[in-house]
Amino acid sequence: MVCSLWHLIRCSGFEVDQADQLAGPKKKQTRANRNKNKIIVTLQGLATNSALLLALTVFSGLLQAQAINPLENDPRAARAGGSLFRAQCATCHGADARGISTIDAPDLTLMWVQGSRNDSEVFTIIRDGIAGSIMPPHGFTDTEVWMLVSYLRSVAVTGTMEPIGGDVERGASLFAEQCARCHRLDGVGGSLGPDLSGITARRSIDALLNALREPSANIARRYKPVTLVTASGETVQGTIKSEDAFSIQIMDSEQALRAFMKADLRQLNKDVASLMPEFSAAILSDAEVNDVLSYLQAER
Amino acid sequence: MDEQTGYRGGIADMRRRLCRAWIFSGLALLAAMASAQDGAGPSYEDILRGFEDPERWLTYSGDYSGKRHSPLTQIDRDNVAELRPVWTFQTGTTTRGRGFETTPLLDDGVLYVTGSNNYAWAIDARTGRSFWSYRRNLPNDLTYGASAPVNRGFGMLGNRLFMVTLDAHLMAFDRRSGDVLWERELADYQLGYAATLAPLVLDDKVIVGISGGEYQTRGFIDAFDPVSGERIWRFNTIPGPGEAGSETWPDDPAILAAGGGGTWMNGSYDPDLNLIYWGVGNPNPDYYDENRPGDNLYTNSIVALDANNGELRWHYQFTPHDVNDWDANQVPVLADIEWRGEPRRVLLWGNRNGFFYVLDRVTGEFLLGEPFTATTWAREIGADGRPIILNDGSQGCLPDPWGGTNFYPPSFYPGLDLFILTARETCATYVPEEPANTRGQSNFGGTVFIDAEQGSGALRALDIHSGDLVWEFTYPSPTFGGVMTTAAGLAFAGDHEGNFMAFDVENGENLWHYQTGSRIWGAAAITYMLDGLQYVLIPSGTTLTAFALRAP
Repeated sequence: MVCSLWHLIRCSGFEVDQADQLAGPKKKQTRANRNKNKIIVTLQGLATNSALLLALTVFSGLLQAQAINPLENDPRAARAGGSLFRAQCATCHGADARGISTIDAPDLTLMWVQGSRNDSEVFTIIRDGIAGSIMPPHGFTDTEVWMLVSYLRSVAVTGTMEPIGGDVERGASLFAEQCARCHRLDGVGGSLGPDLSGITARRSIDALLNALREPSANIARRYKPVTLVTASGETVQGTIKSEDAFSIQIMDSEQALRAFMKADLRQLNKDVASLMPEFSAAILSDAEVNDVLSYLQAER
Repeated sequence: MDEQTGYRGGIADMRRRLCRAWIFSGLALLAAMASAQDGAGPSYEDILRGFEDPERWLTYSGDYSGKRHSPLTQIDRDNVAELRPVWTFQTGTTTRGRGFETTPLLDDGVLYVTGSNNYAWAIDARTGRSFWSYRRNLPNDLTYGASAPVNRGFGMLGNRLFMVTLDAHLMAFDRRSGDVLWERELADYQLGYAATLAPLVLDDKVIVGISGGEYQTRGFIDAFDPVSGERIWRFNTIPGPGEAGSETWPDDPAILAAGGGGTWMNGSYDPDLNLIYWGVGNPNPDYYDENRPGDNLYTNSIVALDANNGELRWHYQFTPHDVNDWDANQVPVLADIEWRGEPRRVLLWGNRNGFFYVLDRVTGEFLLGEPFTATTWAREIGADGRPIILNDGSQGCLPDPWGGTNFYPPSFYPGLDLFILTARETCATYVPEEPANTRGQSNFGGTVFIDAEQGSGALRALDIHSGDLVWEFTYPSPTFGGVMTTAAGLAFAGDHEGNFMAFDVENGENLWHYQTGSRIWGAAAITYMLDGLQYVLIPSGTTLTAFALRAP
């Protein structure tokens, strides 16, 4: 189910009634009530705006109207949605919408790029919840749901859509030489580091450049480096996939999945340096990085 | 009757009396048979006897004291390494995130188990096969109950089972059929109320509390008649205007009526004092406090209530004016110990604010308060029982809202006088923000940033006389598993990575562990004997696993 023109008008009407009622002279103006008033008034403004906006959209294509966020061009929507998000969603999804891995609450900033979802699908998830999961349906009005969609759009991880403009062919050979042993692109390559298919659409050029120049500055979960020494004296390097009080599961530097009982190990050191080598400008110039990124973008 | 005064009649009289005796014993036998067929079920006296019958586990902690300390010794430190799974029970439901937080009850070889989303089962304790199952048709607009769709267990009395629901009802079931006998609304779930705890059953009362302190609600503790389902009394955790405690709030009935103070974890009971001990949760809103200056009684407190009428005897507030969601919703542990050379009836408490407390449970007198976590907030409780706050959050992080520990059960080991609990080390920054204060919508009043890199957990044993750490076993992440101890010198605990483990209670050495496949979250083990075999049972995820030294 998605928001329709009818829903929206109904929503805005409801909110106006509510605001009128609260603004009545008989109502005691506690601080809480005043605040409520403020919010409702904002809602009312938004709803009126959006009704107008939607009315315009309806003429351009009734069928598409349902998939479009009617508040898409209203900057206040994301702000109001942010307040709603912090009050209603942040306990599970985190104050920054990046999820809480220990309770399996997903990172919502990746929702569009990972699930390639559109706004109306996100709308449906917020309103109806996900059956069979802990994500419940919510009693938000449709306008509020669209505000949340606007907020999530505003914090969504985005990369580069414009052509990067480097030398794709040179990028391809650099990638094969320097990266493919550990990174996969469109099904080809290694698994020690993250799959880079479509990475330019998810991460900014700056972020990708930083990841190349200073890979240890910010190491993602499941790629944390470890060095351990087995009972037989073998030294093994790898990335930690999971761990409990008694055992550790890693991918070693030869990309084999291996598990060890901690009690059997001579040494277990959690390293600070990523297994990804630092690509200084001497190894890979800015222009060469640009070529590699262009190749990554072209392959997408 | 003259039977006691000696022989007075002849042979005929004797015959008459013999005959009468036969008839009496015959009647008694018939009555006994009828009662067996009737399956009268456990009585209040049976619950009072606690662990005396090793084939029973009749209330959440095994007895009214909340110690979760079983006298069973078949599994001991020498053989526990041979412990192995003998059956598993899977719910067949797809709840993600939060599964079993329940403590099963056991009587007559049958386990009575509640699950998340108000499922329930009766299961054969020898095989894990089910006799009946129940699922409540819950409304699709649950409030608090949607975000924490859990249940912590049945209460039992006679042939009745009692369970609370996510839409804030108390239900009574026939334990043999699983049929619903009656249900009563505790509060309007659409306003934010829900219920998740295991009811505490006394001789003539079922005591329950309520969840929803994150909404504009007012907490309470209710007593119901187990047979008729009529409510006998209610204790409101937030005073009404003019009532004692209201001076710790602004003079505004609307704020009092939405003051929070959930009572979502079951309490303990002292039959000699006839007192119920119950923890109270956070004030509402959780983090934003501009509108609620004062201590905000009885939030974040323990209350001691007269079981007859629900009247408050005493209270102690662990966290006055809480702004960190450090609910005092923990299992109160009652112990009779020697304290500073004198016998004393005490109450032991591992609080979400990171402190371990000892109180006199007759008077509520504060005896000890010492931190059991490394995270800084207050490092000391003053002689007046109030915390001396060192870091209000302006000097780096505080324990996160999930707390230094939480509702999952600790255990008390008598003799060694150890209080064993799962501790969480965390780092969080609180950002208060004025909430919308909308009825029926959650009302945290801000957000919390948790530093995932700075989190760990540990099983810790504290000396109750000093609060000193005697031993610990560390876990890689902040952990939510409960603890049970047995008189064989064992502590059983669960962790966030899914391990179910046994430890030597004297030194914390890990003696055995088993990976259950899903985190042990909010649940603790139970143990019982059947056919001469000791079982240990742990819920994890949507699975119950039973362990023993050999196959049944």
